[in-house]
Amino acid sequence: MSKPTRKEIHDKICELLKPYNPKNHPIKENSGIMTDLEVDSVAVFDLVMGLEDFYDVSIPMELISDIRTVGELSIAVKELTE
Amino acid sequence: MNNVLKNTPLSIFDKYAPLQSRVDLMMKIGKDALGLKFDDIISATRGKIDGREILLAGTNNYLGLTFDNDCMTAAKNAVDRHGTGTTGSRVANGSYDEHIQLEKILADHLGMESCVVFTTGYQTNLAAISGLAGDNDVIFMDADAHACVIDGTRLTSSSTIRFRHNNPEDLDKRLKRQGDISNGNALVVIEGMYSMFGDIAPVDEFVDVTHRHGGYLYIDEAHSYGVFGPTGCGIAEDQGVLDKIDFISGTFSKSLASVGGFCASRHKEFEILRKVMRPYMFTASATPSNICAALMAVEKVKEGQNLRNNLKKRSIQLHSGLSEMGYDICADASPVIAVRRANEAVAAMEWNWLIENGVYVNLAVPPGTPQSSSLLRISLSAAHTEADINILLKAFSDLKSNQQELISKMSSRLTK
Repeated sequence: MSKPTRKEIHDKICELLKPYNPKNHPIKENSGIMTDLEVDSVAVFDLVMGLEDFYDVSIPMELISDIRTVGELSIAVKELTE
Repeated sequence: MNNVLKNTPLSIFDKYAPLQSRVDLMMKIGKDALGLKFDDIISATRGKIDGREILLAGTNNYLGLTFDNDCMTAAKNAVDRHGTGTTGSRVANGSYDEHIQLEKILADHLGMESCVVFTTGYQTNLAAISGLAGDNDVIFMDADAHACVIDGTRLTSSSTIRFRHNNPEDLDKRLKRQGDISNGNALVVIEGMYSMFGDIAPVDEFVDVTHRHGGYLYIDEAHSYGVFGPTGCGIAEDQGVLDKIDFISGTFSKSLASVGGFCASRHKEFEILRKVMRPYMFTASATPSNICAALMAVEKVKEGQNLRNNLKKRSIQLHSGLSEMGYDICADASPVIAVRRANEAVAAMEWNWLIENGVYVNLAVPPGTPQSSSLLRISLSAAHTEADINILLKAFSDLKSNQQELISKMSSRLTK
Protein backbone atom coordinates (compact mmCIF):
# COMPACT_ATOMS: atom_id res chain seq x y z
CA MET A 1 0.00 0.00 0.00
CA SER A 2 1.37 3.44 -0.91
CA LYS A 3 1.66 5.94 1.92
CA PRO A 4 -1.81 7.30 2.70
CA THR A 5 -2.51 11.03 2.72
CA ARG A 6 -4.00 12.88 5.71
CA LYS A 7 -7.26 13.18 3.75
CA GLU A 8 -7.40 9.42 3.08
CA ILE A 9 -6.72 8.68 6.74
CA HIS A 10 -9.38 11.17 7.82
CA ASP A 11 -11.91 9.55 5.46
CA LYS A 12 -11.02 6.09 6.80
CA ILE A 13 -11.48 7.29 10.40
CA CYS A 14 -14.90 8.74 9.45
CA GLU A 15 -15.88 5.40 7.90
CA LEU A 16 -14.75 3.42 10.95
CA LEU A 17 -16.47 5.89 13.29
CA LYS A 18 -19.88 5.37 11.68
CA PRO A 19 -21.05 2.47 13.90
CA TYR A 20 -20.03 4.43 17.00
CA ASN A 21 -21.80 7.62 15.93
CA PRO A 22 -25.51 6.71 15.90
CA LYS A 23 -26.55 10.34 16.49
CA ASN A 24 -24.70 11.28 13.28
CA HIS A 25 -22.69 14.09 14.84
CA PRO A 26 -20.79 15.91 12.06
CA ILE A 27 -17.18 14.65 12.07
CA LYS A 28 -14.57 17.39 11.69
CA GLU A 29 -10.80 17.52 12.21
CA ASN A 30 -11.30 19.25 15.54
CA SER A 31 -14.18 17.03 16.75
CA GLY A 32 -13.41 15.59 20.18
CA ILE A 33 -13.77 11.83 19.75
CA MET A 34 -15.12 11.22 23.23
CA THR A 35 -16.47 14.69 23.98
CA ASP A 36 -18.18 15.82 20.74
CA LEU A 37 -18.86 12.45 19.10
CA GLU A 38 -19.74 10.75 22.42
CA VAL A 39 -17.69 7.64 21.62
CA ASP A 40 -16.93 5.76 24.85
CA SER A 41 -13.34 4.89 25.79
CA VAL A 42 -13.67 1.18 24.94
CA ALA A 43 -15.16 1.96 21.53
CA VAL A 44 -12.22 4.31 20.79
CA PHE A 45 -9.85 1.39 21.28
CA ASP A 46 -12.03 -0.78 19.01
CA LEU A 47 -11.83 1.92 16.35
CA VAL A 48 -8.05 1.96 16.72
CA MET A 49 -7.83 -1.81 16.14
CA GLY A 50 -9.63 -1.26 12.83
CA LEU A 51 -7.06 1.39 11.85
CA GLU A 52 -4.17 -0.87 12.89
CA ASP A 53 -5.47 -3.64 10.67
CA PHE A 54 -6.23 -1.41 7.69
CA TYR A 55 -2.83 0.29 7.68
CA ASP A 56 -0.90 -2.70 9.13
CA VAL A 57 0.64 -0.63 11.94
CA SER A 58 0.75 -0.98 15.71
CA ILE A 59 -0.87 1.89 17.60
CA PRO A 60 -0.03 1.43 21.27
CA MET A 61 -2.66 2.31 23.87
CA GLU A 62 -0.42 4.85 25.58
CA LEU A 63 -0.32 6.83 22.32
CA ILE A 64 -4.12 6.84 22.11
CA SER A 65 -4.47 8.13 25.67
CA ASP A 66 -3.01 11.48 24.57
CA ILE A 67 -5.27 11.83 21.52
CA ARG A 68 -8.43 13.92 21.89
CA THR A 69 -9.59 14.84 18.37
CA VAL A 70 -10.13 13.17 15.00
CA GLY A 71 -7.35 15.36 13.57
CA GLU A 72 -4.86 14.28 16.24
CA LEU A 73 -5.69 10.64 15.50
CA SER A 74 -5.12 11.08 11.77
CA ILE A 75 -1.77 12.80 12.44
CA ALA A 76 -0.71 9.88 14.65
CA VAL A 77 -1.65 7.34 11.98
CA LYS A 78 0.08 9.43 9.30
CA GLU A 79 3.32 9.40 11.32
CA LEU A 80 3.12 5.63 11.88
CA THR A 81 2.61 4.98 8.16
CA GLU A 82 5.52 7.20 7.05
CA MET B 1 -9.07 39.27 32.30
CA ASN B 2 -7.17 37.03 29.91
CA ASN B 3 -8.73 34.00 28.18
CA VAL B 4 -7.02 31.46 30.35
CA LEU B 5 -8.60 32.93 33.47
CA LYS B 6 -11.96 33.46 31.75
CA ASN B 7 -12.05 29.76 30.81
CA THR B 8 -11.13 28.52 34.25
CA PRO B 9 -13.84 26.12 35.40
CA LEU B 10 -15.96 27.30 38.32
CA SER B 11 -15.36 24.12 40.24
CA ILE B 12 -12.95 21.21 40.23
CA PHE B 13 -16.01 18.99 39.81
CA ASP B 14 -17.31 20.66 36.62
CA LYS B 15 -15.62 18.07 34.43
CA TYR B 16 -17.96 15.47 35.88
CA ALA B 17 -21.11 17.30 34.79
CA PRO B 18 -21.91 14.83 31.95
CA LEU B 19 -21.45 11.91 34.37
CA GLN B 20 -23.63 13.68 36.95
CA SER B 21 -26.39 14.00 34.31
CA ARG B 22 -26.20 10.25 33.72
CA VAL B 23 -26.43 9.58 37.46
CA ASP B 24 -29.35 12.02 37.78
CA LEU B 25 -31.17 10.15 35.02
CA MET B 26 -30.51 6.84 36.79
CA MET B 27 -31.84 8.26 40.05
CA LYS B 28 -34.99 9.48 38.28
CA ILE B 29 -35.55 5.93 37.05
CA GLY B 30 -34.90 4.40 40.48
CA LYS B 31 -31.94 3.34 42.60
CA ASP B 32 -28.24 4.10 42.16
CA ALA B 33 -26.90 0.92 40.56
CA LEU B 34 -23.35 1.82 41.57
CA GLY B 35 -24.29 2.55 45.17
CA LEU B 36 -26.96 0.05 46.14
CA LYS B 37 -27.59 -0.28 49.89
CA PHE B 38 -28.51 -3.62 51.45
CA ASP B 39 -30.31 -3.49 54.80
CA ASP B 40 -28.94 -6.94 55.57
CA ILE B 41 -27.09 -9.90 54.07
CA ILE B 42 -28.76 -13.04 55.40
CA SER B 43 -26.96 -15.85 53.55
CA ALA B 44 -25.00 -16.52 50.35
CA THR B 45 -28.24 -16.21 48.38
CA ARG B 46 -30.48 -13.90 50.40
CA GLY B 47 -30.32 -10.27 51.48
CA LYS B 48 -32.72 -7.48 52.39
CA ILE B 49 -33.42 -4.26 50.51
CA ASP B 50 -36.05 -1.73 51.64
CA GLY B 51 -37.03 -4.13 54.41
CA ARG B 52 -37.88 -6.92 51.98
CA GLU B 53 -36.04 -10.20 51.43
CA ILE B 54 -34.34 -10.46 48.06
CA LEU B 55 -32.72 -13.28 46.07
CA LEU B 56 -29.04 -12.45 45.47
CA ALA B 57 -27.94 -13.30 41.92
CA GLY B 58 -25.22 -10.74 41.33
CA THR B 59 -22.60 -11.24 44.04
CA ASN B 60 -19.93 -13.42 42.30
CA ASN B 61 -20.21 -15.75 45.29
CA TYR B 62 -19.64 -18.67 42.94
CA LEU B 63 -19.18 -21.42 45.51
CA GLY B 64 -21.41 -19.82 48.15
CA LEU B 65 -18.69 -20.08 50.80
CA THR B 66 -19.20 -16.68 52.49
CA PHE B 67 -21.46 -18.34 55.08
CA ASP B 68 -19.62 -21.69 55.17
CA ASN B 69 -19.22 -22.69 58.84
CA ASP B 70 -15.57 -23.75 58.49
CA CYS B 71 -14.58 -20.53 56.66
CA MET B 72 -16.40 -18.39 59.23
CA THR B 73 -14.77 -20.26 62.12
CA ALA B 74 -11.32 -19.91 60.52
CA ALA B 75 -11.83 -16.13 60.20
CA LYS B 76 -13.07 -15.80 63.81
CA ASN B 77 -10.18 -17.87 65.19
CA ALA B 78 -7.72 -15.71 63.23
CA VAL B 79 -9.07 -12.58 64.95
CA ASP B 80 -8.72 -14.27 68.36
CA ARG B 81 -5.17 -15.36 67.58
CA HIS B 82 -3.67 -12.44 65.66
CA GLY B 83 -6.05 -9.50 66.04
CA THR B 84 -8.06 -7.42 63.61
CA GLY B 85 -5.45 -5.79 61.36
CA THR B 86 -1.84 -5.96 60.23
CA THR B 87 -1.32 -2.17 60.44
CA GLY B 88 1.16 -2.07 57.60
CA SER B 89 2.77 -3.61 54.56
CA ARG B 90 4.70 -6.85 54.46
CA VAL B 91 7.92 -5.09 53.44
CA ALA B 92 7.73 -2.77 56.44
CA ASN B 93 5.92 -4.78 59.11
CA GLY B 94 6.76 -8.34 58.04
CA SER B 95 4.58 -11.26 57.04
CA TYR B 96 2.31 -13.21 59.33
CA ASP B 97 2.48 -16.98 59.39
CA GLU B 98 -0.87 -17.19 57.56
CA HIS B 99 0.35 -15.06 54.61
CA ILE B 100 3.21 -17.51 54.05
CA GLN B 101 0.99 -20.53 54.57
CA LEU B 102 -1.60 -19.34 52.04
CA GLU B 103 1.10 -18.64 49.44
CA LYS B 104 2.47 -22.15 49.88
CA ILE B 105 -0.94 -23.82 49.72
CA LEU B 106 -1.91 -21.90 46.58
CA ALA B 107 1.44 -22.59 44.88
CA ASP B 108 1.03 -26.31 45.64
CA HIS B 109 -2.57 -26.34 44.43
CA LEU B 110 -1.64 -24.65 41.15
CA GLY B 111 1.62 -26.61 40.75
CA MET B 112 3.61 -23.36 40.58
CA GLU B 113 7.07 -22.48 41.89
CA SER B 114 6.11 -19.16 43.44
CA CYS B 115 3.00 -17.43 44.73
CA VAL B 116 2.48 -13.95 46.16
CA VAL B 117 -0.71 -12.88 47.92
CA PHE B 118 -2.05 -9.32 47.73
CA THR B 119 -4.54 -7.25 49.68
CA THR B 120 -7.19 -7.10 46.93
CA GLY B 121 -7.78 -8.70 43.56
CA TYR B 122 -7.55 -5.31 41.84
CA GLN B 123 -4.11 -4.69 43.35
CA THR B 124 -2.98 -8.16 42.25
CA ASN B 125 -3.13 -7.41 38.54
CA LEU B 126 -2.06 -3.82 39.07
CA ALA B 127 1.05 -5.03 40.90
CA ALA B 128 2.00 -8.09 38.89
CA ILE B 129 1.50 -6.60 35.41
CA SER B 130 3.25 -3.33 36.23
CA GLY B 131 6.04 -5.27 37.94
CA LEU B 132 6.58 -7.79 35.14
CA ALA B 133 6.55 -5.39 32.18
CA GLY B 134 9.58 -3.13 31.90
CA ASP B 135 10.64 -0.33 29.56
CA ASN B 136 11.45 -2.55 26.59
CA ASP B 137 8.69 -5.12 27.01
CA VAL B 138 5.42 -5.05 25.07
CA ILE B 139 2.12 -6.03 26.65
CA PHE B 140 -0.49 -7.69 24.43
CA MET B 141 -3.85 -7.41 26.14
CA ASP B 142 -7.24 -8.93 25.30
CA ALA B 143 -9.69 -6.23 24.17
CA ASP B 144 -12.16 -7.16 26.93
CA ALA B 145 -9.61 -7.05 29.74
CA HIS B 146 -10.79 -5.95 33.18
CA ALA B 147 -10.06 -2.42 34.43
CA CYS B 148 -7.34 -3.71 36.80
CA VAL B 149 -5.42 -5.17 33.84
CA ILE B 150 -5.75 -1.90 31.92
CA ASP B 151 -4.68 0.09 34.98
CA GLY B 152 -1.72 -2.27 35.47
CA THR B 153 -0.53 -1.49 31.95
CA ARG B 154 -0.89 2.25 32.70
CA LEU B 155 1.58 1.94 35.58
CA THR B 156 4.31 0.70 33.24
CA SER B 157 6.46 2.41 30.67
CA SER B 158 5.89 -0.52 28.30
CA SER B 159 3.89 -0.29 25.12
CA THR B 160 0.48 -1.95 25.23
CA ILE B 161 -1.21 -3.43 22.17
CA ARG B 162 -4.81 -4.62 22.30
CA PHE B 163 -5.89 -7.73 20.39
CA ARG B 164 -9.41 -8.82 19.45
CA HIS B 165 -11.27 -10.55 22.21
CA ASN B 166 -10.72 -14.30 22.61
CA ASN B 167 -9.02 -14.41 19.22
CA PRO B 168 -5.65 -16.24 19.16
CA GLU B 169 -5.29 -15.65 15.39
CA ASP B 170 -5.59 -11.91 15.95
CA LEU B 171 -2.94 -12.11 18.69
CA ASP B 172 -0.71 -14.04 16.31
CA LYS B 173 -1.12 -11.31 13.67
CA ARG B 174 -0.27 -8.53 16.15
CA LEU B 175 2.74 -10.38 17.53
CA LYS B 176 4.01 -10.86 13.96
CA ARG B 177 3.35 -7.20 13.19
CA GLN B 178 5.37 -6.19 16.25
CA GLY B 179 8.31 -8.38 15.14
CA ASP B 180 11.38 -8.82 17.29
CA ILE B 181 11.22 -6.91 20.54
CA SER B 182 14.64 -5.41 21.07
CA ASN B 183 15.97 -6.16 24.58
CA GLY B 184 12.51 -7.05 25.77
CA ASN B 185 9.73 -9.61 25.87
CA ALA B 186 6.07 -9.96 24.96
CA LEU B 187 3.70 -10.35 27.90
CA VAL B 188 0.30 -11.63 26.76
CA VAL B 189 -2.55 -10.99 29.20
CA ILE B 190 -5.86 -12.85 29.03
CA GLU B 191 -8.60 -13.90 31.43
CA GLY B 192 -10.09 -17.36 32.00
CA MET B 193 -13.77 -16.49 32.16
CA TYR B 194 -14.61 -12.89 31.32
CA SER B 195 -16.58 -11.11 34.02
CA MET B 196 -19.17 -9.29 31.95
CA PHE B 197 -20.31 -11.83 29.32
CA GLY B 198 -19.16 -15.01 31.11
CA ASP B 199 -17.42 -16.24 27.97
CA ILE B 200 -14.42 -18.56 28.16
CA ALA B 201 -10.95 -18.04 26.63
CA PRO B 202 -9.38 -20.70 24.38
CA VAL B 203 -6.39 -20.78 26.73
CA ASP B 204 -4.77 -23.78 25.05
CA GLU B 205 -4.61 -21.86 21.75
CA PHE B 206 -3.27 -18.75 23.48
CA VAL B 207 -0.52 -20.86 25.08
CA ASP B 208 0.47 -22.12 21.65
CA VAL B 209 0.53 -18.70 19.95
CA THR B 210 2.27 -16.92 22.84
CA HIS B 211 5.03 -19.48 23.27
CA ARG B 212 5.54 -19.83 19.50
CA HIS B 213 6.46 -16.14 19.53
CA GLY B 214 8.66 -16.55 22.61
CA GLY B 215 6.30 -14.56 24.85
CA TYR B 216 5.03 -15.08 28.39
CA LEU B 217 1.36 -15.85 29.06
CA TYR B 218 -0.42 -14.22 32.01
CA ILE B 219 -3.94 -15.40 32.80
CA ASP B 220 -6.33 -13.78 35.25
CA GLU B 221 -8.60 -16.49 36.66
CA ALA B 222 -10.47 -14.15 39.04
CA HIS B 223 -13.87 -15.42 37.90
CA SER B 224 -12.80 -18.98 37.09
CA TYR B 225 -10.58 -20.11 39.97
CA GLY B 226 -12.65 -22.50 42.10
CA VAL B 227 -15.27 -22.79 39.39
CA PHE B 228 -13.59 -24.74 36.57
CA GLY B 229 -11.14 -27.63 36.34
CA PRO B 230 -11.08 -31.02 38.11
CA THR B 231 -9.56 -29.48 41.27
CA GLY B 232 -10.91 -25.97 40.74
CA CYS B 233 -7.71 -24.32 39.48
CA GLY B 234 -9.62 -22.64 36.66
CA ILE B 235 -9.91 -22.62 32.89
CA ALA B 236 -6.22 -23.41 32.23
CA GLU B 237 -6.56 -26.58 34.31
CA ASP B 238 -9.88 -27.37 32.62
CA GLN B 239 -8.17 -27.18 29.20
CA GLY B 240 -5.15 -29.22 30.38
CA VAL B 241 -2.55 -26.46 30.02
CA LEU B 242 -2.06 -25.23 33.59
CA ASP B 243 1.60 -26.32 33.62
CA LYS B 244 2.26 -24.19 30.50
CA ILE B 245 0.98 -20.95 32.05
CA ASP B 246 3.71 -18.49 33.04
CA PHE B 247 1.65 -16.39 35.44
CA ILE B 248 -1.78 -17.05 36.92
CA SER B 249 -3.66 -14.54 39.04
CA GLY B 250 -6.87 -14.73 41.00
CA THR B 251 -8.91 -13.10 43.71
CA PHE B 252 -10.12 -14.16 47.14
CA SER B 253 -13.31 -12.13 46.78
CA LYS B 254 -15.24 -14.54 44.58
CA SER B 255 -14.95 -18.33 45.02
CA LEU B 256 -12.67 -17.90 48.03
CA ALA B 257 -15.29 -15.86 49.92
CA SER B 258 -12.87 -13.33 51.38
CA VAL B 259 -10.92 -10.26 50.19
CA GLY B 260 -7.45 -10.36 48.62
CA GLY B 261 -5.72 -11.85 45.61
CA PHE B 262 -2.81 -13.94 44.39
CA CYS B 263 -0.40 -14.26 41.51
CA ALA B 264 1.52 -17.50 41.01
CA SER B 265 4.23 -18.40 38.53
CA ARG B 266 6.02 -21.46 37.24
CA HIS B 267 9.16 -19.30 37.23
CA LYS B 268 10.76 -19.22 40.67
CA GLU B 269 12.39 -15.89 39.74
CA PHE B 270 8.94 -14.33 40.21
CA GLU B 271 9.91 -13.94 43.90
CA ILE B 272 12.10 -10.94 43.06
CA LEU B 273 8.95 -8.99 42.21
CA ARG B 274 8.19 -8.71 45.93
CA LYS B 275 10.89 -6.03 45.93
CA VAL B 276 9.45 -4.25 42.90
CA MET B 277 5.65 -4.28 42.93
CA ARG B 278 4.52 -0.97 44.39
CA PRO B 279 0.86 -2.00 45.03
CA TYR B 280 2.33 -4.89 47.10
CA MET B 281 5.03 -2.91 48.88
CA PHE B 282 3.18 0.28 49.74
CA THR B 283 -0.13 -0.95 51.08
CA ALA B 284 -1.22 -2.74 54.24
CA SER B 285 -1.18 -6.53 53.98
CA ALA B 286 -4.38 -8.57 54.13
CA THR B 287 -5.86 -9.08 57.59
CA PRO B 288 -5.45 -12.40 59.43
CA SER B 289 -9.20 -13.05 59.19
CA ASN B 290 -9.26 -12.49 55.40
CA ILE B 291 -6.26 -14.74 54.88
CA CYS B 292 -7.55 -17.52 57.15
CA ALA B 293 -11.00 -17.51 55.53
CA ALA B 294 -9.29 -17.86 52.12
CA LEU B 295 -7.00 -20.62 53.46
CA MET B 296 -10.01 -22.67 54.49
CA ALA B 297 -11.82 -21.86 51.24
CA VAL B 298 -8.87 -23.21 49.16
CA GLU B 299 -9.39 -26.58 50.88
CA LYS B 300 -13.09 -26.37 49.98
CA VAL B 301 -12.16 -25.56 46.37
CA LYS B 302 -9.86 -28.60 46.08
CA GLU B 303 -12.67 -30.92 47.22
CA GLY B 304 -15.42 -28.85 45.66
CA GLN B 305 -16.52 -31.05 42.77
CA ASN B 306 -20.06 -31.27 44.20
CA LEU B 307 -20.26 -27.50 44.47
CA ARG B 308 -18.96 -27.12 40.89
CA ASN B 309 -21.43 -29.73 39.64
CA ASN B 310 -24.36 -27.91 41.22
CA LEU B 311 -23.14 -24.57 39.88
CA LYS B 312 -22.93 -26.04 36.39
CA LYS B 313 -26.43 -27.53 36.65
CA ARG B 314 -27.89 -24.20 37.80
CA SER B 315 -26.07 -22.34 35.01
CA ILE B 316 -27.51 -24.65 32.37
CA GLN B 317 -30.98 -24.45 33.95
CA LEU B 318 -30.99 -20.63 33.89
CA HIS B 319 -29.36 -20.31 30.48
CA SER B 320 -31.80 -22.66 28.79
CA GLY B 321 -34.80 -21.10 30.57
CA LEU B 322 -33.87 -17.56 29.52
CA SER B 323 -33.04 -18.71 25.98
CA GLU B 324 -36.47 -20.32 25.66
CA MET B 325 -38.04 -17.00 26.63
CA GLY B 326 -36.16 -15.39 23.74
CA TYR B 327 -33.71 -13.34 25.78
CA ASP B 328 -30.47 -12.37 24.01
CA ILE B 329 -27.72 -13.93 26.14
CA CYS B 330 -24.12 -12.90 25.49
CA ALA B 331 -22.41 -16.32 25.79
CA ASP B 332 -22.93 -20.03 26.39
CA ALA B 333 -24.00 -21.30 29.81
CA SER B 334 -21.55 -20.38 32.58
CA PRO B 335 -21.88 -19.01 36.13
CA VAL B 336 -22.08 -15.52 34.59
CA ILE B 337 -25.14 -15.05 32.41
CA ALA B 338 -25.46 -11.62 30.78
CA VAL B 339 -28.76 -10.62 29.22
CA ARG B 340 -28.37 -7.92 26.58
CA ARG B 341 -30.91 -5.06 26.73
CA ALA B 342 -31.79 -2.37 24.22
CA ASN B 343 -30.08 0.55 25.96
CA GLU B 344 -28.96 1.91 29.31
CA ALA B 345 -32.33 3.44 30.27
CA VAL B 346 -34.27 0.25 29.52
CA ALA B 347 -31.70 -1.88 31.39
CA ALA B 348 -31.82 0.50 34.39
CA MET B 349 -35.61 0.43 34.48
CA GLU B 350 -35.68 -3.36 34.28
CA TRP B 351 -32.97 -3.68 36.94
CA ASN B 352 -35.08 -1.58 39.32
CA TRP B 353 -38.18 -3.58 38.47
CA LEU B 354 -36.34 -6.84 39.28
CA ILE B 355 -35.27 -5.47 42.68
CA GLU B 356 -38.83 -4.35 43.41
CA ASN B 357 -39.87 -7.90 42.52
CA GLY B 358 -37.40 -9.65 44.82
CA VAL B 359 -34.39 -10.35 42.58
CA TYR B 360 -30.96 -8.69 42.70
CA VAL B 361 -28.78 -8.90 39.57
CA ASN B 362 -26.14 -6.43 38.29
CA LEU B 363 -26.80 -3.52 35.99
CA ALA B 364 -23.75 -3.25 33.71
CA VAL B 365 -23.39 -0.36 31.26
CA PRO B 366 -20.72 1.21 28.99
CA PRO B 367 -17.82 1.80 29.20
CA GLY B 368 -17.56 -1.06 31.69
CA THR B 369 -19.01 -3.51 29.19
CA PRO B 370 -17.80 -4.92 25.86
CA GLN B 371 -19.44 -3.76 22.60
CA SER B 372 -21.00 -0.75 24.40
CA SER B 373 -23.71 -3.10 25.63
CA SER B 374 -26.22 -2.56 28.43
CA LEU B 375 -26.65 -5.71 30.46
CA LEU B 376 -28.63 -7.38 33.18
CA ARG B 377 -25.76 -9.50 34.49
CA ILE B 378 -26.48 -12.53 36.64
CA SER B 379 -23.81 -14.38 38.60
CA LEU B 380 -24.81 -17.73 40.02
CA SER B 381 -23.72 -19.57 43.14
CA ALA B 382 -23.36 -23.22 44.06
CA ALA B 383 -25.61 -22.26 46.98
CA HIS B 384 -28.49 -21.51 44.58
CA THR B 385 -31.08 -24.27 44.48
CA GLU B 386 -33.23 -25.40 41.58
CA ALA B 387 -36.08 -23.48 43.25
CA ASP B 388 -33.95 -20.30 43.36
CA ILE B 389 -33.36 -20.52 39.60
CA ASN B 390 -37.09 -20.97 39.10
CA ILE B 391 -37.64 -17.72 41.06
CA LEU B 392 -35.14 -15.98 38.75
CA LEU B 393 -36.81 -17.42 35.64
CA LYS B 394 -40.26 -16.36 36.88
CA ALA B 395 -38.97 -12.83 37.49
CA PHE B 396 -37.51 -12.60 33.96
CA SER B 397 -40.71 -14.06 32.50
CA ASP B 398 -42.82 -11.49 34.38
CA LEU B 399 -40.39 -8.79 33.26
CA LYS B 400 -41.10 -9.73 29.66
CA SER B 401 -44.88 -9.75 30.10
CA ASN B 402 -44.90 -6.44 31.98
CA GLN B 403 -43.05 -4.36 29.39
CA GLN B 404 -46.04 -2.06 28.89
CA GLU B 405 -46.28 -1.30 32.60
CA LEU B 406 -42.52 -0.76 32.70
CA ILE B 407 -42.53 1.71 29.81
CA SER B 408 -45.37 3.79 31.29
CA LYS B 409 -43.67 3.76 34.71
CA MET B 410 -40.42 4.90 33.10
CA SER B 411 -42.18 7.70 31.19
CA SER B 412 -43.90 8.98 34.31
CA ARG B 413 -40.67 8.90 36.35
CA LEU B 414 -38.68 10.63 33.60
CA THR B 415 -41.24 13.40 33.13
CA LYS B 416 -41.51 14.14 36.88
